[in-house]
Amino acid sequence: MLKRPLPTQQERVLGEDDFIVSKTDLKGIITYGNRHFIQMSGYSERELLGTPHSILRHPDMPRVVFRLLWDTIQAKREICAYVKNLAKDGSFYWVFANITPSFDRAGDLIGYYSVRRKPRAEAVASIAQIYQALLAEERKAGDGQEGMKASLALLNQTLERKGISYEEFVFGL
Amino acid sequence: MKSLSLGSRVHLLIGLCLTLLLLAGWAASGSRPLPTLAWSLGGACVLLLGLALYTAHRILTALDRLTGHLKAAAAGNLESRITGIKAGAATGELAWAINDLLDQQEAYFREVYSAFEHATRGQTFRLAMDQGLHGAFKEAMVRVNISVESLGQVQMMALKEKLISRLTDLNSGNLLINLKSIQEYLMNMTQEMSIVGQLSKETAQDAEASRATIEVLVVDLNRVAEMAVASDTQVRLLHEKSDEIHQIVQVITEVADRTNLLALNAAIEAAHAGDAGKGFAVVAEEVRTLSENTKDAAASIAKTLQTFGQATTQMISDSEQVKALAEGSRSAVAEFRTRVLKFSGSATTSFTQMSRAQDLSFATLVKVDHFLYKQNGYRVIHQGTTSPEARAVQADHRSCRLGTWYYEGQGAELFSHVPSYVRLEAPHADVHRNIHEAVAQLSGAWERNPATQSLIYAHFEAAERASETVMTTIDRMVEERHRQG
Repeated sequence: MLKRPLPTQQERVLGEDDFIVSKTDLKGIITYGNRHFIQMSGYSERELLGTPHSILRHPDMPRVVFRLLWDTIQAKREICAYVKNLAKDGSFYWVFANITPSFDRAGDLIGYYSVRRKPRAEAVASIAQIYQALLAEERKAGDGQEGMKASLALLNQTLERKGISYEEFVFGL
Repeated sequence: MKSLSLGSRVHLLIGLCLTLLLLAGWAASGSRPLPTLAWSLGGACVLLLGLALYTAHRILTALDRLTGHLKAAAAGNLESRITGIKAGAATGELAWAINDLLDQQEAYFREVYSAFEHATRGQTFRLAMDQGLHGAFKEAMVRVNISVESLGQVQMMALKEKLISRLTDLNSGNLLINLKSIQEYLMNMTQEMSIVGQLSKETAQDAEASRATIEVLVVDLNRVAEMAVASDTQVRLLHEKSDEIHQIVQVITEVADRTNLLALNAAIEAAHAGDAGKGFAVVAEEVRTLSENTKDAAASIAKTLQTFGQATTQMISDSEQVKALAEGSRSAVAEFRTRVLKFSGSATTSFTQMSRAQDLSFATLVKVDHFLYKQNGYRVIHQGTTSPEARAVQADHRSCRLGTWYYEGQGAELFSHVPSYVRLEAPHADVHRNIHEAVAQLSGAWERNPATQSLIYAHFEAAERASETVMTTIDRMVEERHRQG
């Protein structure tokens, strides 16, 4: 079992014309990663395969984002999200993740397919502020279910004030 | 050997084998001291050949695996990937190249799918992302996004059209209901106005009759007053005459009194004369009796005259009252007469106004009928040729409500003499003809044929123009009828 590294302030940047591709099973266990995935995460293919995708979770990420992510893809819908990932050496890299469900020929859900692209710096700057606020909300309520509830409420409130859906908001950044 | 490609590695191995074989042959056929070398060369050759065969086998197995993935991809299954690729393996680069190709393809298709799926729901903000895609995949994405954007616009236009069409439908549906209620209201109003009109006509007639009656009454009253004055004069004359008779009666009474005294004196003288005066005494007695009788009669006349005088005094006072009454009635009747004259005038005016209002309301009613007919024409476009609206518009310009009014009803009765009456027929027939022709186009595939649609539109436009003329002509007809009086 791989241990999550301690984060550093070192940033890695994904190439403009590259994308990270990975696949997981229904539980989020990595079943495939392309070479950009291997390179950016710092793990070998052998290390990645069979490991939960959450190994890449950065402590700066509010948990509500992953909650939203899982709720959406489990409902067989696409989700897009800005994500700060944690590499094996403790460095971080921002991505604009797009996750879509995969189906077999019978139409049954068999896993998830994720493409991660280099996000625009302006988008990262504004989403980082929102994530900070959501994270603070979660920590204030003690990181449990209450924290998740409070942070989800804040997210919905932010969207309501803008009068748009989460999807439209994310694509508008 | 890492940097060498798969083919080169096999080629190199086979080349080495052949070289070693040639060397072994040369060693075996050559000078004697070399058989050991020949054997070792031959052994090495066999070993190398074995290695070459093993390598070839491994390569072939790996190629088989790769071929399997490629075949699956060719069959449209972009799901599978090659994993567990050994860093130094001969086929590693090939495996990653296949994975990259599959990643490009899968990312491309998922992006296209997501973008179109969102666009069909009107969410055009979700464009396909081309970042990370290469070459033809990237270029194709630009075109995909153009399609997504135009699909979004088409979607929006279609929705807009649908909304407009639904709103129009809603509006015309309500318009029909509104018009029908106005029609009903106007029908009631017209009916009530015709009753009021009849009443006001009767009132005007009554007022005229009253005026004539009043004239007769005035003449009669004047005569009564005149007669009262005449009878007063007669009574006063009579009263004067009765006074004269009274004086005469007094003279008679005096004469009788004196005669009585004379007769008494004569009787006294006769008694003095003795027998000679006996006869004279009888005469004197007779004269006295006569005078007594005369006196009695005069008293009786005076008594009668007194009663008569009282009666005539009463008559004078009565006739004075009759005179005063007659005078009073005369001024009251004169005032009444003025009033009746005024009333008769205003009754006539209100009758005229009422009749004009009645005509206007009739005209409005036929206009509403005409609107309804047109609206039904529009409704047929939405409701289809088997709808009740379609049956309603089949009416021609003679059998529709306006037509019935014009040819047989009040229209013909009240307006046929005005100049504009004849001008209504042609535009009215035009409205019906155009709507009939528009509806006739609906039997074919008009929904997909722009030319038929323009034709339908043109017919409705022509119907609207003709309808406008119908409206102004009806207005003119009412105006003309009332200008003529």
